[in-house]
Amino acid sequence: MSCLQLSVPPLAASRSKRATIRCASDRQELFNRIAPVYDNLNDLLSLGQHRIWKRMAVSWSGAKPGDSLLDLCCGSGDLTFLMSEKAGERGKVIGLDFSKEQLSIASSRQYMLSKGCYNNIEWVEGDALDLPFSNGYFDAITMGYGLRNVVDKRRAMQEMFRVLKPGSRVSILDFNKTVQPLTAFFQEWVIDNVVVPTATVYGLAKEYQYLKSSIDEFLTGKELEKLALDAGFSYAIHYEIGGGLMGNLVATR
Amino acid sequence: MVRLTNWLLQEAGTGISKTLSEILVCPLSKQTLRVCEESASLISDSIGVSFPIKDGIPCLVPTDGKILDVDDTMKDDNAAQDSASTNKE
Repeated sequence: MSCLQLSVPPLAASRSKRATIRCASDRQELFNRIAPVYDNLNDLLSLGQHRIWKRMAVSWSGAKPGDSLLDLCCGSGDLTFLMSEKAGERGKVIGLDFSKEQLSIASSRQYMLSKGCYNNIEWVEGDALDLPFSNGYFDAITMGYGLRNVVDKRRAMQEMFRVLKPGSRVSILDFNKTVQPLTAFFQEWVIDNVVVPTATVYGLAKEYQYLKSSIDEFLTGKELEKLALDAGFSYAIHYEIGGGLMGNLVATR
Repeated sequence: MVRLTNWLLQEAGTGISKTLSEILVCPLSKQTLRVCEESASLISDSIGVSFPIKDGIPCLVPTDGKILDVDDTMKDDNAAQDSASTNKE
């Protein structure tokens, strides 16, 4: 997995700023850098709404007691802990991420939280493009704000398809790349006037500026449905939530 | 207290639970992995690569893998033969 070598002349400074967070190892570093404040910032930036969207994502995954569950790009573990509550004592949840810093925080949170059922969680440092699991293992998969950040979305969908049991679902929550001009304008306004200034206070302006181009390069709901169907999923539907700012793709193997 | 004890017991060995070591496969070959307690790593014999376990978390990003040189492979082959004969399915 090699990083693209970019040698950019000084004049193309703004383009290089956008281009430098393209390869996987740069993204890995980005998430390592924001790890310490990630949770607080998410709360602040979404006014706590992200908690609701994540509960919806978990509901859509169809996770139930006793299941073997996977949370991809788990970060500090928000979705993993919700999946753990669904799985219960008889179930098992694996939280996978490629950022050591995020996993370290997730693991500490697990230790600090008082709920006994969180013992059913295991953390794995891994790559969503090369999952270290055998075929047809999981009863449900969630992925929150991860698909947009993987360098090969098709490959990620194929891997999710491979490790899912037939008839099981994947629930992918992320920003919505909207085709509605008004929503797009609002989304951009929020990022420029709320997200980036807030992130600047935490010293992470550059990291959150990445968000705008990242959403720009993301796929629309229809394109995501097609991506899932192309990967072999038999059914795929993309729901818009959070006033159209967020979207949740639900695909059934 | 129980959780702390379990956590300490896990850390005492390789740091990962037996259940997890049975679920995981090599991210590249998708074949089974072998736990090596001595080096706190997971060995993929199919491709001759070892993946580290750090702070109880297995590191299975392909670039985390270290190619085993022949001496390591031979030493691990002997260990594998011993464990294979006792762990036959």
